[in-house]
Amino acid sequence: MSLKEIVGESRTMNEFVVTINSNKYVVKFSPNGEVTVGENTIPFEVTKINGNAYLLKFGNRVFEITSNKISGNNFGLLIDGWYFDTTVRTLLQETVNELQQNKAKAKHHSDVKAPMPGLILKMKKLVGESVNIGDPILILEAMKMENELRSPSSGTVKEIFYKEGQSVEKDVTIMTIE
Amino acid sequence: MFKKILIANRGEIAHRIIKACREMNIISVAIYSEADKNALHVRRSDEAYLIGPSPANESYLNKEKIIRLAKQIGADAIHPGYGFLSENSQFIKMVEDSGITFIGPSSKSVEMMGEKTSARRLMKEHNVPIVPGTTVSIKSSEEGKKIAKEIGYPVMLKAAAGGGGKGMRKIENESEFDSSYERAKNESLKAFGNDDVYLEKFIENPKHIEVQILADKFGNYIHLFERECSVQRRHQKVVEEAPSIAVDEFTRKKITQAAVNAAKACNYYNAGTIEFLMDKNKNFYFLEMNTRLQVEHPVTEMITGIDIVKQQIKIADNQKLSIRQEDLKIHGHAVECRIYAEDVDNNFAPSTGKIIHHRLTSGPGIRIDRGIDIMSEVPIYYDPMLAKVVAWGIDREEALVRMKRALSEYQISGVITNVPAFNWILHQKTFLDGTFDINFLDNEFLPLVPHKWKDESAKEYEEIASVLGAFLKMQEQLTPSSTNHVSQRNSWREQNYE
Repeated sequence: MSLKEIVGESRTMNEFVVTINSNKYVVKFSPNGEVTVGENTIPFEVTKINGNAYLLKFGNRVFEITSNKISGNNFGLLIDGWYFDTTVRTLLQETVNELQQNKAKAKHHSDVKAPMPGLILKMKKLVGESVNIGDPILILEAMKMENELRSPSSGTVKEIFYKEGQSVEKDVTIMTIE
Repeated sequence: MFKKILIANRGEIAHRIIKACREMNIISVAIYSEADKNALHVRRSDEAYLIGPSPANESYLNKEKIIRLAKQIGADAIHPGYGFLSENSQFIKMVEDSGITFIGPSSKSVEMMGEKTSARRLMKEHNVPIVPGTTVSIKSSEEGKKIAKEIGYPVMLKAAAGGGGKGMRKIENESEFDSSYERAKNESLKAFGNDDVYLEKFIENPKHIEVQILADKFGNYIHLFERECSVQRRHQKVVEEAPSIAVDEFTRKKITQAAVNAAKACNYYNAGTIEFLMDKNKNFYFLEMNTRLQVEHPVTEMITGIDIVKQQIKIADNQKLSIRQEDLKIHGHAVECRIYAEDVDNNFAPSTGKIIHHRLTSGPGIRIDRGIDIMSEVPIYYDPMLAKVVAWGIDREEALVRMKRALSEYQISGVITNVPAFNWILHQKTFLDGTFDINFLDNEFLPLVPHKWKDESAKEYEEIASVLGAFLKMQEQLTPSSTNHVSQRNSWREQNYE
């Protein structure tokens, strides 16, 4: 069976899987102005206030929502003082994503990623050195604070992609441990 | 009165000082770094001057350049705000020598209080209780370890020139000493240009209570009661309030008197804050004096009705204090929440970018002091505090419900903020009953990060968020070219590194 057959292409335009903190919500829009979330089907209306603010009427409940578009599939939404990082995929994308994740699980190496943008002050490990989980591996300076990054796993440093004194973006891989 | 004041700062505090200048009919002068060319403090000022490249040490910390500029443009006073050069006695001395008035204390007072070890000695001499520890900086890790053994672990290493949590490390046992010592020294050197550190006994579960004082140049001293600032993460204050519900009338009398004594001990004038640690038995110990305007000054302004920044300017202008201690009363209760550009669930990583949407909250009892507006950049170079939301109520309960209401109305897009964290903090029993201490967030909140701190009321919104998220995605599929809300992650996080 192909992916297309599993999902059915015609449904992908209005049916989505939204992931928030590992909870998944299946959201389906119908042409008559109703939305189905899980088991419930409710009339809804969205008004764009400006590029980043929306008014959502969900039945008779009203919500003002501020959005941060983070990437094509990723919207950060602020509602009544709560912030949600939503990952939105069509059913097709969701299926592909699950397959990819299962593949990745089969591999055995871990990446040390920058938890924040910053400046690498000190590398405490060299390529080839062995590390234990929790060992200090580098110091990253961000907004005037020195942050010690610790190893997420035990193994050997396989590759280091940055040097001391270099700036890194958030989420870039600084080194890999195998 | 001064005709023109140069504000040697940025962000919300520069904006706050501009407001005071406006009300006093004084020309306000902003300075700005390259990263700040469109910053709110620049937009609101009467005149603005580029002072240098984005890194603080080439712009907001460039003493010579700032003073030269002030002279050039005919500013008769400099207001330093907080942070940056505000407590740099060398800078203040240079200002004094240049014939320009420094809006703050004398360089001498700052020097006496700025070096934390000599301040501790001075306090001891003037019967202000201090935390047990060294009254001189330690010369080596070995010496530190020896003293730590004597006073007993855990101990605190602190920057002698410091404040604000930078260069400060708690050490649980001797094995941690060497690396903490090195780190504390490095951080202090970077933050304050001085790597002296000293040692204090670690007081278990204290509250952070501080007292605002005002003094003129004629020897008149008053206090504006205490503030409670125990809600902190990594020594950075997050929520402050005035008054403290843990301080009774008897303790208030003692602690405010100690604060006035501390100010007198260094011949202080202008606005200042004496910080204390208070233990469970309401014993309090001098921590340090902040010889400047404080971030959390608005809560005091709200309960006393006094505009502290205007008082600072009047005192600097050689005016006598017109407020008498006996006329001061605590009116109601005020709470402040600091809005930081940080991603709580991603290890509090600083969030940088351009503010693309910002709607202020307002309504009864609400005041916002902010350094940002639409199209402001939040650069990586400076402190990540964006704004302060302050709520006043006739009592603490009303102040808190107003705060919760106000925060639910706050809208911001372009950076991620800590606003949601207040949904947790302001609902905790420990916070509500006033029994919290400075470890409250570290002990009770941090173990719940990421995500576990979000309770049922957050869950209820997830469904709503999923509907809008899906809707935005659907719209994009229909009109793939319309990416007019926010740009892609890479450009959203676009920043200029040195």
